[in-house]
Amino acid sequence: MCSVDRDTKFNPVIGAVVSLLLAAAVFLLYRFDPEEAAVFPRCLFLVVTGYECPGCGTQRALHHLFHLELSSAFSENGLILFLLPYLLLGGYLAFFNGNRRFPGLARLLFGKRAAIIVVSLILLYWVARNL
Amino acid sequence: MNRYFYIDSEGKQKGTFTPEELKSENIKKETLVWTQGMSEWTRAADIPELSLLFEESRDFYSPQPVTPPAVRPGYGSAPSPQQPMPKSWLIESILATILPFLLCSCIFSLLGIIGIVNASKVESLYLRGDYAGSLEASNQAEKWTKIAMWIGIAWVILWIVAVILIIAFGVSMSGITDVFSGSGYEI
Repeated sequence: MCSVDRDTKFNPVIGAVVSLLLAAAVFLLYRFDPEEAAVFPRCLFLVVTGYECPGCGTQRALHHLFHLELSSAFSENGLILFLLPYLLLGGYLAFFNGNRRFPGLARLLFGKRAAIIVVSLILLYWVARNL
Repeated sequence: MNRYFYIDSEGKQKGTFTPEELKSENIKKETLVWTQGMSEWTRAADIPELSLLFEESRDFYSPQPVTPPAVRPGYGSAPSPQQPMPKSWLIESILATILPFLLCSCIFSLLGIIGIVNASKVESLYLRGDYAGSLEASNQAEKWTKIAMWIGIAWVILWIVAVILIIAFGVSMSGITDVFSGSGYEI
Protein backbone atom coordinates (compact mmCIF):
# COMPACT_ATOMS: atom_id res chain seq x y z
CA MET A 1 0.00 0.00 0.00
CA CYS A 2 1.58 3.23 -1.13
CA SER A 3 0.55 5.76 1.42
CA VAL A 4 2.77 8.71 2.14
CA ASP A 5 0.47 11.06 3.99
CA ARG A 6 2.21 14.33 4.47
CA ASP A 7 2.14 15.47 8.08
CA THR A 8 -0.04 18.37 8.93
CA LYS A 9 2.54 21.07 9.49
CA PHE A 10 2.63 21.76 13.20
CA ASN A 11 2.27 25.49 13.57
CA PRO A 12 3.65 26.65 16.96
CA VAL A 13 1.34 29.69 17.10
CA ILE A 14 -1.81 27.64 16.53
CA GLY A 15 -0.41 25.02 18.91
CA ALA A 16 0.08 27.62 21.65
CA VAL A 17 -3.41 29.12 21.13
CA VAL A 18 -5.05 25.69 21.17
CA SER A 19 -3.23 24.56 24.32
CA LEU A 20 -4.11 27.85 26.05
CA LEU A 21 -7.78 27.39 25.10
CA LEU A 22 -7.67 23.78 26.27
CA ALA A 23 -6.18 24.77 29.61
CA ALA A 24 -8.80 27.50 30.09
CA ALA A 25 -11.63 25.12 29.17
CA VAL A 26 -10.34 22.41 31.52
CA PHE A 27 -10.01 24.92 34.34
CA LEU A 28 -13.55 26.30 33.86
CA LEU A 29 -15.04 22.81 33.60
CA TYR A 30 -13.16 21.68 36.70
CA ARG A 31 -13.97 24.77 38.74
CA PHE A 32 -17.66 25.14 37.94
CA ASP A 33 -20.43 22.58 37.82
CA PRO A 34 -22.17 23.02 34.45
CA GLU A 35 -25.40 21.86 36.10
CA GLU A 36 -25.51 24.71 38.61
CA ALA A 37 -23.25 27.46 37.38
CA ALA A 38 -25.47 28.26 34.36
CA VAL A 39 -22.61 29.96 32.57
CA PHE A 40 -22.03 27.16 30.10
CA PRO A 41 -23.53 27.06 26.59
CA ARG A 42 -26.73 25.13 25.97
CA CYS A 43 -27.03 22.67 23.12
CA LEU A 44 -28.83 24.43 20.25
CA PHE A 45 -30.18 21.13 18.98
CA LEU A 46 -31.73 20.35 22.38
CA VAL A 47 -33.23 23.83 22.66
CA VAL A 48 -34.73 23.74 19.17
CA THR A 49 -35.92 20.13 18.89
CA GLY A 50 -36.25 18.98 22.50
CA TYR A 51 -34.14 15.92 21.71
CA GLU A 52 -30.63 15.40 23.08
CA CYS A 53 -27.79 15.42 20.56
CA PRO A 54 -24.99 12.82 20.85
CA GLY A 55 -22.84 15.38 22.65
CA CYS A 56 -25.36 16.51 25.24
CA GLY A 57 -24.02 16.02 28.75
CA THR A 58 -20.40 16.32 27.66
CA GLN A 59 -19.67 19.28 29.91
CA ARG A 60 -21.27 17.58 32.92
CA ALA A 61 -19.46 14.34 32.08
CA LEU A 62 -16.11 16.14 31.83
CA HIS A 63 -16.78 17.99 35.08
CA HIS A 64 -17.39 14.67 36.84
CA LEU A 65 -14.42 13.08 35.08
CA PHE A 66 -12.06 15.83 36.25
CA HIS A 67 -13.28 15.14 39.78
CA LEU A 68 -12.66 11.41 39.19
CA GLU A 69 -16.35 10.52 39.54
CA LEU A 70 -16.38 7.98 36.75
CA SER A 71 -19.82 6.49 37.22
CA SER A 72 -21.65 9.80 37.25
CA ALA A 73 -19.56 10.91 34.27
CA PHE A 74 -20.67 7.76 32.46
CA SER A 75 -24.33 8.37 33.18
CA GLU A 76 -24.16 11.93 31.84
CA ASN A 77 -22.64 10.92 28.52
CA GLY A 78 -21.11 7.47 28.15
CA LEU A 79 -20.10 8.00 24.55
CA ILE A 80 -17.71 10.83 25.26
CA LEU A 81 -15.73 8.74 27.76
CA PHE A 82 -14.80 6.47 24.88
CA LEU A 83 -14.37 9.23 22.33
CA LEU A 84 -12.08 11.32 24.54
CA PRO A 85 -9.12 8.88 24.52
CA TYR A 86 -9.84 8.24 20.85
CA LEU A 87 -9.63 11.99 20.19
CA LEU A 88 -6.37 12.32 22.10
CA LEU A 89 -4.87 9.41 20.18
CA GLY A 90 -6.07 10.94 16.89
CA GLY A 91 -4.53 14.29 17.82
CA TYR A 92 -1.23 12.57 18.55
CA LEU A 93 -1.32 10.61 15.28
CA ALA A 94 -2.27 13.60 13.15
CA PHE A 95 -0.28 16.45 14.67
CA PHE A 96 2.67 14.88 16.49
CA ASN A 97 4.07 12.57 13.82
CA GLY A 98 2.27 9.60 15.39
CA ASN A 99 1.10 8.27 12.03
CA ARG A 100 4.72 7.97 10.93
CA ARG A 101 5.72 6.03 14.01
CA PHE A 102 2.57 3.88 14.09
CA PRO A 103 1.20 3.74 10.54
CA GLY A 104 -0.58 0.45 11.27
CA LEU A 105 -2.38 1.91 14.26
CA ALA A 106 -3.44 4.96 12.24
CA ARG A 107 -4.76 2.70 9.49
CA LEU A 108 -6.61 0.43 11.90
CA LEU A 109 -8.22 3.04 14.15
CA PHE A 110 -8.53 5.93 11.70
CA GLY A 111 -9.03 4.17 8.40
CA LYS A 112 -12.12 4.24 6.23
CA ARG A 113 -13.77 1.34 8.08
CA ALA A 114 -13.03 2.91 11.46
CA ALA A 115 -14.57 6.20 10.29
CA ILE A 116 -17.77 4.40 9.27
CA ILE A 117 -17.90 2.55 12.61
CA VAL A 118 -17.34 5.72 14.64
CA VAL A 119 -20.00 7.68 12.75
CA SER A 120 -22.49 4.79 13.07
CA LEU A 121 -21.75 4.50 16.80
CA ILE A 122 -22.48 8.19 17.24
CA LEU A 123 -25.74 7.87 15.28
CA LEU A 124 -26.76 4.76 17.27
CA TYR A 125 -26.04 6.49 20.57
CA TRP A 126 -28.05 9.47 19.35
CA VAL A 127 -31.12 7.36 18.60
CA ALA A 128 -30.78 5.16 21.68
CA ARG A 129 -30.55 7.99 24.20
CA ASN A 130 -33.71 9.62 22.87
CA LEU A 131 -35.86 6.47 22.92
CA MET B 1 15.22 15.25 5.41
CA ASN B 2 14.05 18.82 4.87
CA ARG B 3 10.48 19.59 3.92
CA TYR B 4 10.06 22.45 1.48
CA PHE B 5 7.46 25.02 0.61
CA TYR B 6 7.42 26.37 -2.91
CA ILE B 7 5.66 29.17 -4.80
CA ASP B 8 3.72 27.92 -7.80
CA SER B 9 3.21 29.66 -11.13
CA GLU B 10 0.22 31.51 -9.71
CA GLY B 11 2.23 32.87 -6.81
CA LYS B 12 0.49 30.60 -4.31
CA GLN B 13 2.49 29.02 -1.51
CA LYS B 14 2.35 25.22 -1.44
CA GLY B 15 3.86 22.77 0.99
CA THR B 16 5.33 20.95 2.60
CA PHE B 17 7.09 18.46 0.35
CA THR B 18 10.16 16.27 0.58
CA PRO B 19 12.58 16.63 -2.33
CA GLU B 20 11.05 13.48 -3.91
CA GLU B 21 7.58 14.96 -3.66
CA LEU B 22 8.81 18.26 -5.11
CA LYS B 23 9.94 16.32 -8.14
CA SER B 24 6.41 15.08 -8.79
CA GLU B 25 5.14 18.64 -8.30
CA ASN B 26 7.09 19.52 -11.48
CA ILE B 27 8.98 22.40 -9.96
CA LYS B 28 11.42 24.25 -12.22
CA LYS B 29 14.96 25.42 -11.55
CA GLU B 30 13.64 28.96 -11.13
CA THR B 31 10.89 27.94 -8.68
CA LEU B 32 11.32 29.69 -5.35
CA VAL B 33 11.48 27.27 -2.43
CA TRP B 34 11.95 27.63 1.29
CA THR B 35 12.58 25.33 4.22
CA GLN B 36 13.28 25.75 7.92
CA GLY B 37 16.59 27.44 8.59
CA MET B 38 16.64 29.46 5.36
CA SER B 39 16.48 33.23 5.65
CA GLU B 40 14.62 33.78 2.39
CA TRP B 41 13.04 32.11 -0.65
CA THR B 42 15.67 30.68 -2.96
CA ARG B 43 15.77 29.26 -6.49
CA ALA B 44 15.43 25.49 -6.34
CA ALA B 45 18.54 24.97 -8.45
CA ASP B 46 20.65 26.89 -5.91
CA ILE B 47 19.89 24.41 -3.13
CA PRO B 48 22.29 21.46 -3.19
CA GLU B 49 19.68 18.96 -1.97
CA LEU B 50 17.28 20.01 -4.73
CA SER B 51 19.74 20.63 -7.55
CA LEU B 52 20.12 16.83 -7.71
CA LEU B 53 16.51 16.63 -8.87
CA PHE B 54 17.33 18.58 -11.98
CA GLU B 55 20.29 16.40 -12.86
CA GLU B 56 18.42 13.13 -12.62
CA SER B 57 16.12 13.76 -15.52
CA ARG B 58 16.38 16.00 -18.54
CA ASP B 59 12.64 16.70 -18.30
CA PHE B 60 13.28 19.23 -15.60
CA TYR B 61 15.49 21.30 -17.87
CA SER B 62 12.76 21.81 -20.42
CA PRO B 63 10.15 24.44 -19.66
CA GLN B 64 6.95 23.13 -18.09
CA PRO B 65 4.32 22.36 -20.73
CA VAL B 66 1.30 24.62 -20.75
CA THR B 67 -1.42 22.90 -18.75
CA PRO B 68 -5.01 22.95 -20.00
CA PRO B 69 -7.11 25.58 -18.24
CA ALA B 70 -9.33 22.97 -16.57
CA VAL B 71 -6.39 21.53 -14.67
CA ARG B 72 -4.88 23.30 -11.68
CA PRO B 73 -1.53 24.71 -12.66
CA GLY B 74 1.37 23.08 -10.95
CA TYR B 75 -0.34 19.71 -10.75
CA GLY B 76 0.16 17.04 -13.37
CA SER B 77 -3.18 15.47 -14.24
CA ALA B 78 -1.83 12.30 -15.78
CA PRO B 79 -1.76 9.39 -13.33
CA SER B 80 1.74 8.16 -12.77
CA PRO B 81 2.94 5.34 -10.57
CA GLN B 82 5.62 7.54 -8.97
CA GLN B 83 3.17 10.11 -7.67
CA PRO B 84 2.58 9.61 -3.96
CA MET B 85 -0.96 9.34 -2.70
CA PRO B 86 -2.37 12.75 -1.77
CA LYS B 87 -2.83 13.27 1.95
CA SER B 88 -6.15 11.66 2.86
CA TRP B 89 -7.10 13.94 5.79
CA LEU B 90 -9.01 11.01 7.26
CA ILE B 91 -7.71 11.36 10.84
CA GLU B 92 -8.21 15.11 10.83
CA SER B 93 -11.74 14.87 9.46
CA ILE B 94 -12.71 12.23 12.05
CA LEU B 95 -11.41 14.56 14.76
CA ALA B 96 -13.36 17.44 13.22
CA THR B 97 -16.51 15.30 13.36
CA ILE B 98 -16.15 14.32 17.02
CA LEU B 99 -14.86 17.61 18.46
CA PRO B 100 -18.09 19.62 17.98
CA PHE B 101 -19.88 17.18 20.30
CA LEU B 102 -17.51 18.20 23.08
CA LEU B 103 -18.19 21.83 22.34
CA CYS B 104 -22.00 21.69 22.25
CA SER B 105 -22.03 22.62 18.60
CA CYS B 106 -23.10 19.32 17.12
CA ILE B 107 -24.39 21.01 13.95
CA PHE B 108 -20.80 21.63 12.87
CA SER B 109 -20.16 17.88 12.89
CA LEU B 110 -21.77 17.89 9.46
CA LEU B 111 -18.69 19.70 8.10
CA GLY B 112 -16.50 16.91 9.49
CA ILE B 113 -18.77 14.30 7.90
CA ILE B 114 -18.35 16.00 4.50
CA GLY B 115 -14.62 15.85 5.21
CA ILE B 116 -14.77 12.12 5.99
CA VAL B 117 -16.76 11.37 2.82
CA ASN B 118 -14.14 13.14 0.71
CA ALA B 119 -11.21 11.75 2.69
CA SER B 120 -12.38 8.17 2.23
CA LYS B 121 -12.47 8.71 -1.55
CA VAL B 122 -8.81 9.75 -1.71
CA GLU B 123 -7.31 6.27 -1.40
CA SER B 124 -9.82 4.39 -3.53
CA LEU B 125 -9.52 6.90 -6.38
CA TYR B 126 -5.73 6.82 -6.09
CA LEU B 127 -5.59 3.03 -6.20
CA ARG B 128 -7.92 3.09 -9.22
CA GLY B 129 -5.32 5.27 -10.96
CA ASP B 130 -7.46 8.39 -10.95
CA TYR B 131 -4.79 10.70 -9.57
CA ALA B 132 -6.58 13.94 -10.47
CA GLY B 133 -9.78 12.74 -8.80
CA SER B 134 -7.84 11.63 -5.75
CA LEU B 135 -6.15 15.02 -5.51
CA GLU B 136 -9.48 16.78 -5.88
CA ALA B 137 -11.00 14.66 -3.08
CA SER B 138 -7.94 15.40 -0.93
CA ASN B 139 -8.33 19.13 -1.49
CA GLN B 140 -12.05 18.98 -0.68
CA ALA B 141 -11.37 16.98 2.48
CA GLU B 142 -8.70 19.49 3.51
CA LYS B 143 -11.04 22.43 2.86
CA TRP B 144 -13.96 21.09 4.91
CA THR B 145 -11.76 19.79 7.71
CA LYS B 146 -10.00 23.13 8.04
CA ILE B 147 -13.28 25.06 7.99
CA ALA B 148 -14.57 22.77 10.76
CA MET B 149 -11.38 23.16 12.81
CA TRP B 150 -11.36 26.96 12.55
CA ILE B 151 -15.03 27.12 13.51
CA GLY B 152 -14.16 24.90 16.48
CA ILE B 153 -11.36 27.20 17.64
CA ALA B 154 -13.53 30.31 17.16
CA TRP B 155 -16.34 28.59 19.07
CA VAL B 156 -14.16 27.81 22.07
CA ILE B 157 -12.84 31.39 22.17
CA LEU B 158 -16.42 32.70 22.03
CA TRP B 159 -17.45 30.25 24.74
CA ILE B 160 -14.61 31.16 27.11
CA VAL B 161 -15.18 34.89 26.59
CA ALA B 162 -18.89 34.38 27.29
CA VAL B 163 -18.17 32.38 30.46
CA ILE B 164 -15.73 34.99 31.73
CA LEU B 165 -18.21 37.80 30.98
CA ILE B 166 -21.03 36.01 32.76
CA ILE B 167 -18.87 35.23 35.77
CA ALA B 168 -17.70 38.86 35.90
CA PHE B 169 -21.32 39.97 35.62
CA GLY B 170 -22.39 37.55 38.34
CA VAL B 171 -19.60 38.73 40.61
CA SER B 172 -20.53 42.35 40.16
CA MET B 173 -24.19 41.57 40.80
CA SER B 174 -24.03 39.36 43.84
CA GLY B 175 -20.50 39.19 45.17
CA ILE B 176 -17.96 36.45 44.59
CA THR B 177 -19.28 34.03 47.22
CA ASP B 178 -22.55 33.29 45.41
CA VAL B 179 -20.81 32.42 42.16
CA PHE B 180 -18.41 30.04 43.77
CA SER B 181 -20.80 28.54 46.30
CA GLY B 182 -23.12 27.80 43.38
CA SER B 183 -20.53 25.45 42.01
CA GLY B 184 -20.24 23.62 45.31
CA TYR B 185 -16.46 23.85 45.30
CA GLU B 186 -14.94 26.46 47.54
CA ILE B 187 -11.61 28.00 46.69
